[in-house]
Amino acid sequence: MSHSPPRLRKRTLAQVFFRSLFLQASWNPRGMQNLGLAYALFPALRELYPDAAAQTAAVQRHLTAFNTHPYAAAAILGGVLFHEQRIARGEESPERVATFKGSLMGPLAALGDGFFWLSLRPAVGAFCAAMVPFLGVWSAPLLLVLYNAVHLTFRARLFAQGLSLGDRLVEALARANLPTHGARLRTVAAASSGALTAWLAIAFGAGQGGEWAAVLAGGCLALGGLSYWLVARGVSRYLVLYAGTALAAVVGGLL
Amino acid sequence: MSIAWTQVALAGVWGGLLALERQAFLQAMFSRPLVAATGIGLVMNDVASGLFVGMLLELFFLGGASLGASLAEHETLAATSAAAAAAAMASTTDGQATPSMWSVAILLFLPMGRLGRTIERALGGYSARLAEQASASAEAGRLRRAVRQNLWGMWPHFAIYGALTAAAALVGYALGPQLAALPPHFTKALAWACPAMGSVAAAVAAKSTKARRAGLYAGFAATAVTAVAALLAFWGSR
Repeated sequence: MSHSPPRLRKRTLAQVFFRSLFLQASWNPRGMQNLGLAYALFPALRELYPDAAAQTAAVQRHLTAFNTHPYAAAAILGGVLFHEQRIARGEESPERVATFKGSLMGPLAALGDGFFWLSLRPAVGAFCAAMVPFLGVWSAPLLLVLYNAVHLTFRARLFAQGLSLGDRLVEALARANLPTHGARLRTVAAASSGALTAWLAIAFGAGQGGEWAAVLAGGCLALGGLSYWLVARGVSRYLVLYAGTALAAVVGGLL
Repeated sequence: MSIAWTQVALAGVWGGLLALERQAFLQAMFSRPLVAATGIGLVMNDVASGLFVGMLLELFFLGGASLGASLAEHETLAATSAAAAAAAMASTTDGQATPSMWSVAILLFLPMGRLGRTIERALGGYSARLAEQASASAEAGRLRRAVRQNLWGMWPHFAIYGALTAAAALVGYALGPQLAALPPHFTKALAWACPAMGSVAAAVAAKSTKARRAGLYAGFAATAVTAVAALLAFWGSR
């Protein structure tokens, strides 16, 4: 049993964090993110286990199936390093880290999916799309700035919390209250989309001009409302888009 | 038909890099349609086409997400290929992009999202073999080699999706002159399809947000915008 506490160098932690950005480079349906996880952890495992046999065993225990949200994985990576340092010191058995990963990857996946993929991304995407008529090409960098201000902060913070708290990071995550923020963001997404529907219809009518302007704008707006209603009833959005387009094309060709 | 091969190559490289960013590295939303298509527009000297295509496809694919083991449609490939085709069509008419070109590009290349997902599923088999090789290398004690198998998973995404984006640009160069030769009422029909697609996509986006009372918030916002536009029109006419 080692009595000198192995502590990872800051450079190694930075390497692990950078490598975590490649977590999904070889996503596969069997092990999923297992290869990415082992790749990310390798610099730390190499430092913690100078003995070849122990290093091999450490890498192999992280080649088992693993899948979670790519940003939330930073928390698990930090937590794995927390446990691996304790394992290297002889304070824990190797099974402990497997239990840690297994218990957290599902809940963190749900948390990350619900907030980032289903709330923040649609909100920022819809808002910046709605800004295209006003900001033009600057809408694209605005999307990147708004999204990554949250994304990168979250990722770095989760890594640090996992590293320092281990299993107790679950309490820290609960305090972030992500589901409530997610619900608000989805509202922003819906409102932005609705506003843009109206703007596009009005711009079309105004662009055609003349006595038909209001009718054309109203028709386009009605098409948007009908599309919403159809999609809400389970009609394929591809079908709605192509049918709506065909309808508008026929009207445009005839008038 | 004059093809700007440099632009085609740049579009291919950009499309390939974005496919990597979407899946393999960072996931910082450079691969979202609004950014991806605008970038294609920049490299192909037609920002307007990239921006409109990107805005519309950002809305259409707003609710898509890869959850767990399920894969979302490849919105990046749809965006880069549609934008590359639209920009290429515009360049065949001395750089003048038109709504009819945008309509054709979107209608033709929207299904690339589903093709991209099918390709991604197939690439999962290749990545699974890499994982097996990694396990075998780890058992043999070749740990550095084992973990580096992770990086080998990236090149097929870059190559395949980059090639498809470049191919879409070439299709655009071929279609441009055909579109210019259409009778005026066909061109007008396609031009009218463009704003209709925008309204439909925005409405689809509102539903796909899965917000509680999404219809209410979308309707309220649409009403507010309409009211403001009507007021401005009224004041402008006085």
